[in-house]
Amino acid sequence: MEAVMRQEMSSGVFGNYQVPPQFLDEVFNSAGGVNPHYENIYQQFVKFNKEEFKELNEQAKSAFFNQGITFSVYSDKAKGVERIFPFDLFPRIIPAAEWARLEEGIIQRCVALNLFIQDIYSNKHILKDKVVPAELIFSSNNYLKAMLDFKPVGGIFTHISGTDLIKHSDGQYYVLEDNLRCPSGISYVLSNRVAMKRLLFPMFRKLNISLVHQYPQELLATMQSVAPEGVDVPNCVVLTPGVYNSAYFEHVFLAHNMGIPLVEGRDLYVDKNFVYMKTISGPQRVDVVYRRLDDAFLDPLAFKPDSMLGVPGIMAAYREGNVNILNAPGTGFADDKAVYTYVPDIIRYYLNQEPILNNVHTYRCEKDDDFQYVLENMDKLVIKPVDESGGYGILIGNKATKAELQEFKSLITQNRRKYIAQPIMALSMHATFIEEEGRFEPRHVDLRTFTLLGKDRQYVLKGGLSRVALRKGSLIVNSSQGGGSKDTWVMTDDNFQG
Amino acid sequence: MTTTYEITYSTHNTYEEDVREALFSFLVIPCQDETQKLKSLRFSNSLQLEAFQYQNTFGFEVAQLYNARPFKELGFQMIATVEKEHRFLPFGNYYSLQEEQSLLQDYNFYIEHHLFLGTGYYTTIDQVYTDKVLIRQENESVYNYLNRLNLYVYQMLEFDPEPTHVCTTVNEVLKLGKGVCQDFTHLFIALARRNKIPCRYVSGYLNQGLNLTGTAVMHAWAEAFIPGFGWQGYDPTNNLLADFNYIKVAHGCDYNDCSPLKGVLKTNGRQKTTYGVKVYPLLLSAHTEQ
Repeated sequence: MEAVMRQEMSSGVFGNYQVPPQFLDEVFNSAGGVNPHYENIYQQFVKFNKEEFKELNEQAKSAFFNQGITFSVYSDKAKGVERIFPFDLFPRIIPAAEWARLEEGIIQRCVALNLFIQDIYSNKHILKDKVVPAELIFSSNNYLKAMLDFKPVGGIFTHISGTDLIKHSDGQYYVLEDNLRCPSGISYVLSNRVAMKRLLFPMFRKLNISLVHQYPQELLATMQSVAPEGVDVPNCVVLTPGVYNSAYFEHVFLAHNMGIPLVEGRDLYVDKNFVYMKTISGPQRVDVVYRRLDDAFLDPLAFKPDSMLGVPGIMAAYREGNVNILNAPGTGFADDKAVYTYVPDIIRYYLNQEPILNNVHTYRCEKDDDFQYVLENMDKLVIKPVDESGGYGILIGNKATKAELQEFKSLITQNRRKYIAQPIMALSMHATFIEEEGRFEPRHVDLRTFTLLGKDRQYVLKGGLSRVALRKGSLIVNSSQGGGSKDTWVMTDDNFQG
Repeated sequence: MTTTYEITYSTHNTYEEDVREALFSFLVIPCQDETQKLKSLRFSNSLQLEAFQYQNTFGFEVAQLYNARPFKELGFQMIATVEKEHRFLPFGNYYSLQEEQSLLQDYNFYIEHHLFLGTGYYTTIDQVYTDKVLIRQENESVYNYLNRLNLYVYQMLEFDPEPTHVCTTVNEVLKLGKGVCQDFTHLFIALARRNKIPCRYVSGYLNQGLNLTGTAVMHAWAEAFIPGFGWQGYDPTNNLLADFNYIKVAHGCDYNDCSPLKGVLKTNGRQKTTYGVKVYPLLLSAHTEQ
């Protein structure tokens, strides 16, 4: 199929916008028409000429800088340089019906993964029933013996999850990753919305867009719901590793918006198995800790002995039931690459339901059929070792040379157990304002969603962080690698006439 | 028949500079199990702090002290009386060779005991030392193998506190051929696990009236799983089976789970720690219990 040119508007901000033939475009259909749920916003944007839009874009940028919504980049030569997370004014819009199904699927997945973690740290039924191989769990660095036979309040381990989704060229959503440790990004979602409301207020009057600003209150309610038994009015805090952490802005933002103290490890101590905060009016008991530091740094007595960031003795207070920690330590084994491939089986096992959300199909080379398929279709697959992270040792079939393909063939054959393969996913594209060009161009996007599980409460934020790969052709949406973000509008109804 | 012991653990720590804040953790309290009962327990310390306790992952009591007032010295003492029951030691195998074999190869058995079958920092044997791994023979029972292993480790290593320290791994021990009870125990554990026999690290006290090695300080030995019998203690440092002379404090995967004293301190400068134990039987109660 040939790309459709939008020549009739080449003078405006959509001038020469080309819908990429091999990818799905969120805004435009393959014939070049605007999808109905985008009609309203498109009509608004198409009225701008380049200069007007540039001005609006500048206003957005300064709004972010003035709000202090920045992140620090470690790799920069000047340490701790603050940058704004590039923000795009064209929102990603998800129709109500489409979202309802997504939300159902996200809840299903998060609930199943929570049950999985609970089972692994207690009876291990799923291992004994050979649904998930035991070695896979026991060999994970994130499987913590300090959590064995321990059940947190309400059986909740993953209070906060960040499920990453993409839309493939087949129009279906796929889960790319389950983030079950300390998922970040929510502060951008809320700040993006504030900026959008300032700049495009008329749109919010025209369209029925789900609200997101209640998230901090939902998070606080989640924390309160899992307070230690017998505590009616729990003291909750956000525990940050400190100002040098790349997500420090978010820690400040969340504590501020929940109206609870932001503390560092040195502000807390443990005496007689209770956690206290040092305040100018003396010690104050702490009941629930939303920690934004990794397991390894949480308690120098239990984990990394040289950690200066944690709270000595907090794990003992936790196991004695005197404090709750969000997320529970030791959830990380459940969101790694190797376990990912088993999530559909995990959902069937605990919930006796078919998974609602798609997993990217994974071929395990240890299985004969899969191995054969991988060898015959290497050019269509991404091949990854199961035990490496950070993109090492990966082969992207359609970009590899013949020699590389040959090399990988022998690598896989020698160690079949070590490799998995997945089809190359075609992330959907979305019109994004490119400053250098002064117009909209299609860029790849994904979607991070935010889910809260508390005692007898479940909540999925109706919105999320749509991350954009700003570099042309790039599939990498990470903020540290030139990614940007968009506001995500989940419609409350699908009446798009406005 | 029972023996009652009085056990004293004392430690003295001095610091060059003031300690501004500290949390100490003592894993030194004799545990309670089928063979031992804690009759009394007392703590005292030079700073008059109130000790508190928690149960660790393996269910053992840990005593802690927290202090936020500057100090340069801490003395800590625990006095416990423990009643230890004299039990029969295992003799021979309890299951047939075939039953033993099928249990050790059972997947659920592996899952139940995975913590004591896997290897870690201390207990992973390098390929270079493959020839030093004592392999269980096909027709050898677990019981016979463990006895042979106890003697094997006892004979292979020379007791010498000089060359090793708390972080010494089995590979270093194999290279040196020397070590202390911790090193004997790690080697025993590593070899037993290589043979798929669940094995765990034990720390505790040893009766001082017997002229055995390792009684002046806390002792370490191993517990291995004998199918049909259960856990049995082996002391490769002395080539003995752990009996009523061995008073257990805790077990774990390796030394890391059992280290008697841990502390997180805010201070600068050097520090010095000394400690000692006293373990002696109060009376040998000859009466038979109901």
